[in-house]
Amino acid sequence: MRGSRLGHRLRVGGGVFVCALFLFPVFWMVLTSFKAPRDAFTRPPKLFFTPTLESYTAYLTFADVPGRMLNTVIVAAGAGLVSIVAGAMAGYALSRIRLRGAATIGAVILLSRGVPPIALAVPMFIVARQLDLLDRHITLILAYCTFLIPYVMWLMRGFFAALPRELEEAAAIDGCSRFGTFLRIIVPISLPGLIATFIFSVILAWEELLFALVLTSREAVTVPVAVAGIAADMTSGVNWSALCAVGTITVIPVVIFSLAVQKWLIQGLSDGATKA
Amino acid sequence: MTIGMKRPTRARLADTAGRWGFLTPAFLILAAVLAYPILYTIEISFSEIDIATFMPGEFVGWDNYETVLTDERFWYALRVTLIYLVFALPLQLLLGFVIAWLVNAEWRGRGVVRALFIIPMVVAPVVAGGIWKMMLDPLWGLTTYLLGLVGLPALDWFGDPVLAMGAIVLIDTWRWTPFVVLIATAGLLSLPRDVFEAAEIDGANWWTTLWRITIPLLVPVIAATFVVRWLGAVKMFDIALAATAGGPGRATNVINLFIYQEAFRGMKFAESAAMCVVVLVITTLLTGLFLRGSRVLEARFQ
Repeated sequence: MRGSRLGHRLRVGGGVFVCALFLFPVFWMVLTSFKAPRDAFTRPPKLFFTPTLESYTAYLTFADVPGRMLNTVIVAAGAGLVSIVAGAMAGYALSRIRLRGAATIGAVILLSRGVPPIALAVPMFIVARQLDLLDRHITLILAYCTFLIPYVMWLMRGFFAALPRELEEAAAIDGCSRFGTFLRIIVPISLPGLIATFIFSVILAWEELLFALVLTSREAVTVPVAVAGIAADMTSGVNWSALCAVGTITVIPVVIFSLAVQKWLIQGLSDGATKA
Repeated sequence: MTIGMKRPTRARLADTAGRWGFLTPAFLILAAVLAYPILYTIEISFSEIDIATFMPGEFVGWDNYETVLTDERFWYALRVTLIYLVFALPLQLLLGFVIAWLVNAEWRGRGVVRALFIIPMVVAPVVAGGIWKMMLDPLWGLTTYLLGLVGLPALDWFGDPVLAMGAIVLIDTWRWTPFVVLIATAGLLSLPRDVFEAAEIDGANWWTTLWRITIPLLVPVIAATFVVRWLGAVKMFDIALAATAGGPGRATNVINLFIYQEAFRGMKFAESAAMCVVVLVITTLLTGLFLRGSRVLEARFQ
């Protein structure tokens, strides 16, 4: 490539520096989660200290984090599954099957992604209350479908559109039904994209706060609600060790999963954003 | 593959059903949990709501809208949201593309750096708000200490209205810029090389190349990125709740947070429904406008 060697080195160094800067808050959170409270509140802030699992053991049992974790897993996995199945099928229909009004449907879906969740949370709360569906996993799963299904439809539509047409034509000649073609031909070759989209949907559901705050109260409470509770606890001052411990537990699985599929994630997200 | 022969009607019907069958699950779910709640919100916004039964009662016409539209706090929340958007979105787009350029330098570790940029993107926004609240703490926070090292006074991030908005924009930018970097990277990689080589042969300098070639070529990607970021930013809630809870006063009380408080703390469901409808109309119009704008830009620059 052109440009001076020094310029190139500066650019590489700049990139690494900025990356480190962006990662630092996560590092600091993990570090603080191993601090005893007396090490968390010091001047200057301590980089070296005797690590302890105090905040994990103390806080996790106290705030019923395992129970909330389980709720979050159930809700995130459930919402992810429902939306990948419904969303991928619909995305396939919009990209590969000639349908009258497909363009309109596509536009409506995109517009629906701009619906502020509060505009859905208010009526959902009222309806769920009437139907006695508050504080249930299924309610939260359905609520998450409002943003996950359009999201999956959008990503998978672009993904399917990039596949060669000959695939379906060959299958049609072999007498495969449309649904059979989808299941036996399209799904297997789209598996990487489907998995990446599924994982990203699970992550979005995993982190969701507003619906969880509104639609749960005791039994189906998720981890983000617990985090919000700790962060907002003004009376006793923020318990930083607890915040960081719960934060770390929330973030670690997501980081592992997303790094595992990072190649497809990067591809899928950038395609989904730019291919209209 | 058709040979011009008209297929039997029954097969045709089955075929049509098959085509639409793919859309059915998504349609049914979205009708129940997306379309119905929106219609219901509209109904509630024209009614009174009985807190005891939680049923929309008497039709009250535009009363709720009148209450809301004359409520100075509603306009204030909209203004706060606008300030947040006006600062956060351009900042994130600019930073995102600059960082993408830095990260795109060819070297062995490029893939690793790019992968690591995913990490802030998957930190739950509420956790992001919490960590930054801790880091920015005026007494014990790390940034306060670092500012002190270079002789700067402690900044009261959460006590001063302007600084609090700055903190919100900062946290949001930390959380979302990596996402822009990711899209921008793909955009930069897809730039045609020969154009740049031709420009170099013609003796165009770096600045001219940037303004005359790079940016015009990137306009469609920039527009698309803006739309996606906009779609995320209208949902802004978690970070404000965790970091500032809308304060100090109402300085960072973005519209989603304000409606949330009015509905679930103030139990004013009918008024909240009216606010939801107003916000829904505004965001849908703007989303439509931005989508159209990005299409136009895409067509002009491609």
